[in-house]
Amino acid sequence: MKKVLALVLSACMCAAVFAGCGSEKAPAADSSETSAAEGGLDKNIKATLTFATWDNEAMDVFEELDLEGRFQELYPNVNIEIEEFKDDIEYFNQMKIRAAANELPDIMYLQTRFYPVFKDYMMDLSDTKAAANNILAAECAVDGRIIGIPEKISTDYVFYWSDVFEEAGVAVPHTWEEFVTASETLQKHYEAADPDFMAIAMGAKDGWPMYPLMEYAAASFSGESNYWDIMATEDEPFAEGTEINKAFTKVYDLLNRGVLGRDPLGLGYDQALSMFLNKKAAMMIDNSMGMAKIAASGVDLSTLKTFYTPYTDENGQFNHIVQGDFFMGVTNTSENPELAKAFLEFYFEDFYGDYIMELASDSTMTNAPKEKNQYMAYADAEQPEMNLVNYMGGGDDFTAIVNKCKFDHNKVGAQMLMEGFDLEQCFDELNKSWSEARKSLGME
Amino acid sequence: MKSLKKSRNCFILCALVIPVVLLLLFVVYPSFDLIAMSFTDWDGVSPHRQFNGIANYITMFRDSPDLWLSLRNNLIYLGVHMIMIPIELAIAVMLNTRFKGANFVKTIAFLPFIINGVGMSYAFSYFFSPVNGAFNEILTMAGLSGSIHKWLSDPQIVNFVLAAVSAWRFSGYHIVLFSTGLTSLSAEMMEAALIDGASAWQKLWRIQLPNIWMVFSFVMFDCIRGTLQCFDIPFIMTGGGPGYASSTFTLYTIDTAFKYNSFGMAATMAVAIMVIVIAVYGIQQILLKKVIDR
Repeated sequence: MKKVLALVLSACMCAAVFAGCGSEKAPAADSSETSAAEGGLDKNIKATLTFATWDNEAMDVFEELDLEGRFQELYPNVNIEIEEFKDDIEYFNQMKIRAAANELPDIMYLQTRFYPVFKDYMMDLSDTKAAANNILAAECAVDGRIIGIPEKISTDYVFYWSDVFEEAGVAVPHTWEEFVTASETLQKHYEAADPDFMAIAMGAKDGWPMYPLMEYAAASFSGESNYWDIMATEDEPFAEGTEINKAFTKVYDLLNRGVLGRDPLGLGYDQALSMFLNKKAAMMIDNSMGMAKIAASGVDLSTLKTFYTPYTDENGQFNHIVQGDFFMGVTNTSENPELAKAFLEFYFEDFYGDYIMELASDSTMTNAPKEKNQYMAYADAEQPEMNLVNYMGGGDDFTAIVNKCKFDHNKVGAQMLMEGFDLEQCFDELNKSWSEARKSLGME
Repeated sequence: MKSLKKSRNCFILCALVIPVVLLLLFVVYPSFDLIAMSFTDWDGVSPHRQFNGIANYITMFRDSPDLWLSLRNNLIYLGVHMIMIPIELAIAVMLNTRFKGANFVKTIAFLPFIINGVGMSYAFSYFFSPVNGAFNEILTMAGLSGSIHKWLSDPQIVNFVLAAVSAWRFSGYHIVLFSTGLTSLSAEMMEAALIDGASAWQKLWRIQLPNIWMVFSFVMFDCIRGTLQCFDIPFIMTGGGPGYASSTFTLYTIDTAFKYNSFGMAATMAVAIMVIVIAVYGIQQILLKKVIDR
């Protein structure tokens, strides 16, 4: 009996060890090779396509417009399984884990800042009709490969209450200096009666809402769409006179005037949005996803208007950041890469036109033109002429340095709001850790 | 008879094999993998892991000041929980007397422990909110508006606020554990002490505490492990901010892995916290044993 026991135990242990080892699934060949090998697609193919997203707003629209049913008109035996994530942070964390295990979904969304991480897992979509009809896809190609088709245009607006502006006698600002003055005037005007009032509702406790100022400032003020990549070539990019030094100094000057209220680090995004909706804040910087939340709140929007954050450079040029968002891509670990590509083509050809009309975002497709959202159209009317900066995020080198020295622009922004913060010391520390990271990565 | 023996062997086999397999799969193998990973520069995505020796350990000790700042924050949690232990024990002793509402108090005290940690943290972040926050309102109503602070954004106090929330959550659990230990003591022994004229303090120090030594040891271990691995409360209430002011060791480790794609380094930190927990627990056991022996 002891022998039998020992034998069974040993067998179980071996099984456990082998189960732990597992076999690695080799990524599928690239699109062109797969296409050549498979030729056409069988209309009666039986499969399930997995599709991951963190866009909660889109999930409802997919259901409303019956995304799966419409695709099944073309491929009746194909099911679409949509995996929903709470937000982009959780989404990308999960995708990283799944990439390591070769368990990525068939179709996934990307953002350009994550291109360096996922580019080797994505198929080339250069030969698709969707890429050809998209106004941003080609500009965001990586090493000549289009790995994602952006379905939204992400650009930030300053949402504001025109009646709140009027009462304080503030006009829409058209330069950065005017923006600072307007914010300060609003804060002073209202905070006497309401100590909780905020000229700009930010939600800095959550960190990420600082991005319009901290992530975009350097690229916006300088007009350099690839500013992060330029930084990656410098040993001391935060030194005096550099664009990011000037940009952060301007932002610090704004924040230092108390325009985010008396305790900006004590409030998260949801609380800040709630304050804005109750007109306890005059402005809020957000994008089309924020517009969707404002619209869904049910408050009276008759005095809601927008303008673009006036990032004006030294010559008075008004720079404005635009970028593609929600880049839909097909993973090369997919078991049905051609079917996934067929879905992508269907999505942008047959489905997207109806879909984008339901969202606040602008269209990225030439075959699905859309008029601008009525509230966001105010921004264009206020600033008809501007220099559009197609923001790209950072490339491989920038990402490697950031990972090495743990540079987090939003954290720097939050620190700017802390008492006793020393900007010069912060720049010195950032320069030191940046140059050490470059040194250890062999980039000197 | 033979069938009974066969059933018994089958039961023994199942009772041994299943836990061993589960332990191997979900504890032993991942632990070894974690240690192996700590000697690599794996980014968490790439299929290949490059062995880099003890470079991660050197970087962790020499070039990660924010990590050690985070560990200091963990120690604040530990300190607050340690201060709470005598209070929890005192409440348990009181509840163990003939107090009629003991069960009701125990149930109320235990409730925070069974509430979902994430939901509770969200509730407290609104409770301490600077705008319409209930805590500030209570202070104002009590005429203590001068005591209002930036509870979640002042680096000087934020960790104490978070540690207080953590203590609120776990104190009830510890009270119930102590109370259960005290209830298990034999009534004869306590009566004998009473007849011998032992005071309440002598009963506690000479009889009750040595006899619930295992419970006490478990509560201490739970405090050490829990506070050094604390994650959900600071993650939800402050995100580790402002800056790294309320970051904890685990929060920093997770940021290292997922935000900065340094899974190798994060594994090193995970190994470090494992060693720290074992070391602190070991020291605690030695000290506790000395006190009990005396």
